Amino acid sequence: MTAPALALEDLCKRFGRIHAVEHLSLEVPPGQMAGFLGPNGAGKSTTLYMIPRLVHPSGGRICIFGADLRRDFRQALRSVGVMVEAPAFYEYLSARKNLQLAARVLGGVGSRDIDETLERIGLADRQYDKVRTYSQGMKQRLGIGRALLGRPRLLVLDEPTNGMDPEGTREILGFLQERVERDGLTVFISSHLLHEVEEYCTTVFVIDKGRLVASGNVRDILKPHERVIRTTFVGEVPYPATLLADERIKRVESTSPDTLEILLAAEDSAWLNQHLLRAGYRVSAITPRQKTLKEFFLSITGDHRNA
Amino acid sequence: MHSQLLPLLRNEVVKAVRRKLPYFGLFMGGLICVLTYVVADEIGTANTANAWGYVALSMQLVFADIGLIFVLVFAAMLMSDETRSGTIRAALAAPLHRWEFYAAKVIIGLLYMIAMSFVCLVLSSLLARAHYGFGPVADSLGEIYSQRTALANFLLAWVLSWVPLAAIVCYGLFLSTMIRSSGAAVAASIGTLYVIEFTKHLVGVDPYIFTRYITYPWQVLGQVAQGVGYEWRPEVWKMLGLCGVYGAVAFVAGLVLFLRQDLNE
Repeated sequence: MTAPALALEDLCKRFGRIHAVEHLSLEVPPGQMAGFLGPNGAGKSTTLYMIPRLVHPSGGRICIFGADLRRDFRQALRSVGVMVEAPAFYEYLSARKNLQLAARVLGGVGSRDIDETLERIGLADRQYDKVRTYSQGMKQRLGIGRALLGRPRLLVLDEPTNGMDPEGTREILGFLQERVERDGLTVFISSHLLHEVEEYCTTVFVIDKGRLVASGNVRDILKPHERVIRTTFVGEVPYPATLLADERIKRVESTSPDTLEILLAAEDSAWLNQHLLRAGYRVSAITPRQKTLKEFFLSITGDHRNA
Repeated sequence: MHSQLLPLLRNEVVKAVRRKLPYFGLFMGGLICVLTYVVADEIGTANTANAWGYVALSMQLVFADIGLIFVLVFAAMLMSDETRSGTIRAALAAPLHRWEFYAAKVIIGLLYMIAMSFVCLVLSSLLARAHYGFGPVADSLGEIYSQRTALANFLLAWVLSWVPLAAIVCYGLFLSTMIRSSGAAVAASIGTLYVIEFTKHLVGVDPYIFTRYITYPWQVLGQVAQGVGYEWRPEVWKMLGLCGVYGAVAFVAGLVLFLRQDLNE
């Protein structure tokens, strides 16, 4: 049986009286991109910080491809590339020099690997510029490049697309997805962006107040809000008041000149479609709306604090 | 698996040579040597009767203040600067032990201290050679100490002068580990040093404070240069003991603190 890429067993972390992570257990299967979701202060970053031992666990165990982090620290960490928080660099050095410093400690990383990494992250042209001249997005890409430098089998990323524009985000996540599919890389990625996790991850783990509250296939966990239907009209758009006359429609909100979000009393978009057509409206699209982060955590945790 | 100490040390050297502060420190130390040379004749003491005396005086003046401060500031920024900027997290998220990282920091601190001492010594010696001579120590009655004896004491003073400075490096690094802001770490290290310097006589703890030995080896060389009787022992043993204890305590305390530290934001 293949060992999980990352296994957290009964992991705990206390800061004084605060229980940041409580008895957290999860297993990330190898060769896939797994998301790690949670509201602010849920314990996501603390958990990720414990993987490279930047934060010492108060209890529990971390295994990376079967190697116990406590007993076989070097072996375990040799398989991992980590990028926690906004990546920090020696700003007075160039991107290339920063990668060279990282490569020297990793060992077995040559000049050609650095060239290749810079090429892949799109910074080959600016490799000799000091990092202090880089934008946040460029630093983010350089951080991912540094994490990938030692050809890790597991990549741990904390909010890797922070500060990046949508195009850069797609580029980086697409690149990681390609590495997962082509090289069998495992990526464990924390994010607060549901669509990001939904689009790129296969598995998702949801944490709240330091505890795992949900885990499984991303399509099951992050399924759309079946009662909120986004409806786009061609031509005349009905007045919300007209629609609210039917008791099966609970709320109507206009999100654009031709689109309404309609909250139904029950999950029945087929009925809504029929109802609108019968009333003489022409509908061009009718789709359950993706849950907002607030709605998602509310549905998972039932906790209004997160909302 | 082999230690990562050497690659880490090479990284520390790369970082140090690409920064301005170390050069500024060396420049300031050199400046004191030049200024000492300029005013040496005006001082007109027996210290400057020959090259040995001039070097002893110059090194005392460098390491009584400016040189000491730059060695301390360099050490105090080693860890805190990385913690403040977050680079420490990227550096430690690699297959290396924390003690290796800490040891590399101590070694680069010691190397900078030695570099500072070396630059000032070479510059002082060149200036001294231009004006005086590194011959035997003599007075009107003849030779008191041979050139060989003077040279031996000169080299011994130079090597021994590293001992209290090494303790300063360990102290600076300890504060750098404890305080996560580089500015605060520098302020705390210089501040505590000066408070101790100003109050140690008042409260009668001077014999137990290692900083009293920072210029001690050069004072002994000054005695040699003046042709008066000199004794390294037993004071040098006290120096080694006191500086060793302070340095070891600061080193161990800093290391233990670093090993146990949670490096989250």
